[in-house]
Amino acid sequence: MDVLRSIGITEPVIQFMLVNALLGLSIYLTLYTGMFSLANAGFMAIGAFAGVILTQTFDLPLAVGIAGGAALAGVLAIPVGLPVLRLRDIYLAIATIGFGEVVRILILNFDPLVSGIIGQRVTITGGALGIKGIPKLTETWHLVGFLIAVCYLIDRLHRSRFGRAMAAIRQDEKVAANMGINVVYVKNVVFVLSALLAGAAGAFSGHLTRIISPDGFGFAQAVNILAFAVLGGGASYFGPILGAVVLTGLPEVLRPVREYRGVVNGLILMLVIVYLPGGLISFFPTRRSLQRLRRRLFAPRPAPPA
Amino acid sequence: MKKWIWVFSLLALLTAPALVSAQMPTMESLIGADIRQTCPDPTNLPDTVTIGSLLTLTGGASVFGVSQQRGIQLAIAEINNSAFLGEGVTLEVIFEDSASDNNQAIAAMTKLVEEDRVIAVIGPTLSREAFSADPIAQDAGVVVLAVSNTANGITDMGDFIFRNSLPEASVIPGTVAGAVDQLGIRSAAIIYANDDDFTVSGANVFREAFEANGVTVVAEETYATGDVDFNAQLTNIIAQNPDALAISALAVEAVQIILQARAQGYQGVLMGGNGLNSPAVLQQTGADSEGLIVGAAWNIGSPNELSAAFKAAFENEYGNLPDQFAAQAYTGAWMIASAIRCADSTDSAAVRDALAALEMETPLGFFSFTEDRNPIHDPVVQVNRGGAFAVLGAE
Repeated sequence: MDVLRSIGITEPVIQFMLVNALLGLSIYLTLYTGMFSLANAGFMAIGAFAGVILTQTFDLPLAVGIAGGAALAGVLAIPVGLPVLRLRDIYLAIATIGFGEVVRILILNFDPLVSGIIGQRVTITGGALGIKGIPKLTETWHLVGFLIAVCYLIDRLHRSRFGRAMAAIRQDEKVAANMGINVVYVKNVVFVLSALLAGAAGAFSGHLTRIISPDGFGFAQAVNILAFAVLGGGASYFGPILGAVVLTGLPEVLRPVREYRGVVNGLILMLVIVYLPGGLISFFPTRRSLQRLRRRLFAPRPAPPA
Repeated sequence: MKKWIWVFSLLALLTAPALVSAQMPTMESLIGADIRQTCPDPTNLPDTVTIGSLLTLTGGASVFGVSQQRGIQLAIAEINNSAFLGEGVTLEVIFEDSASDNNQAIAAMTKLVEEDRVIAVIGPTLSREAFSADPIAQDAGVVVLAVSNTANGITDMGDFIFRNSLPEASVIPGTVAGAVDQLGIRSAAIIYANDDDFTVSGANVFREAFEANGVTVVAEETYATGDVDFNAQLTNIIAQNPDALAISALAVEAVQIILQARAQGYQGVLMGGNGLNSPAVLQQTGADSEGLIVGAAWNIGSPNELSAAFKAAFENEYGNLPDQFAAQAYTGAWMIASAIRCADSTDSAAVRDALAALEMETPLGFFSFTEDRNPIHDPVVQVNRGGAFAVLGAE
């Protein structure tokens, strides 16, 4: 622990790493199914505001806030996903960026909107000021436990019939449909799962940063989340976690280089993208490459010609 | 042979700044003279006293953070050169960057408080960063002095959180009262960005101040940060023919609002909050902003002699004129040093008590804290006369 602290990885940094790992996993699910969606920052905002309002305004425990935030994001993902997921590739990306902006601007103007409907001035999301003075309820062990549970579920998902359908859709949507996979159903369910995860991560982060405002969940955040998955690598669910840990930790570790921090940070990321196109995860051996290695090491040598 | 020339020139380059600073004479500074009188030379301080400063040196708001860093560095050089904390005692500042990001502000504050064990922190630059990071220092009992946070509720976070930056709520009422007094306005309109906490709270204060001064608010219009065309909103406002138009905006949008309002033929009084307190706004709007009234915590043309000395020293050091952010940060560093001198201790709680009791002459004017650690000093009501801010009513 002390070694980590001395290089700038203090407990808050570890907590942000864990939250970002959840966000990385949420975009990993959609990418794994071949959907280039950037809606995660929007769902994160929904989860954060819903979660914080539940614990602050209604004085409910954190667990209810997390569950409520995740549930609201998941429910809203259904009407969003049904029309939007008919789009593919870059068109889907643009549509989901639009969704993120809609969420941000709705939260921004939520109070006047509601005030107009019920006829008296109310403060719910706080507009541009956001909600401040949120107690820090999220503990590291909450995040670790939640992340382990999510990893277990994703691992189970990959081995299930549904998980194989996800992979099939990524490889070729038309062939998958011909094989009898209900593509619309699978895509929408994955979109909801991804929104659930992002919503939970948002609710956790709202109770870490003590203040939430709509500008923290804009396009920049959507790109950050994508970067966790891209930099980490999509070969396994461990990739986005690794990406989140590195992208969150690197700026802190680099504090000693002072004003060159941004430059060094950017340079390292560039080198990773150029030289490790499979992401950071390609540093680590996969099961298959381990098998290959074992075979090469322990293979019976061909007998020397007599 | 060639190699040696390189090594020597490198050595010369490295030692040159050290030689220059070693030759700097010890001199008494103007600021802090009153504190030297009231508090004796400290005797209990270690050789190096370390404070922290959490500023946004990169990212969206870095223009403010860099200006603040310069103000603080200037103050620290003066404090050490004048042996303000006693002979042989050096005040050291650890600067940390928050990159305009709440999460990084939390991480940096944790590092300053838990790893570097500083006794006080100057910053953070943005109010939202303060709401994220200040509770960490409060929980650890480390003094935080905000030098630019103007949002409501900053010092409510705890008894270790101070600020020397006048909140909009203290500046704007004076601006409105001055304008009503001098120009006799009876009706007003407000235009503001509804997606920025700074401009929204500014607009709220304008609304209250107008009501308190018996001015009727006849129109309110909003826009989004980044907009460039304000003609629709201005048409609505001008249709109501208000005597004054209050602009709660950041500098970039303020310039366009002023230009477009005048282009539509608006003849009334223009007034603004801190966002308009920038020479760039006057430069880019030219004759259109003649008579623009802006409240501020500090004016570069202030007759205060400490302010004049600060302006000269800053220009001499950096080659450009200081802005209000630099002035407040410079003052903040001197206030922390004064509190350490008066406490004669590096114990954070003792420094906190000394800071709360501090009363001193500063470039911002005679300064003290309220019971709830907010600043007390007179704001200035400025008016644009021929492209430069002058103090309203003083001409």
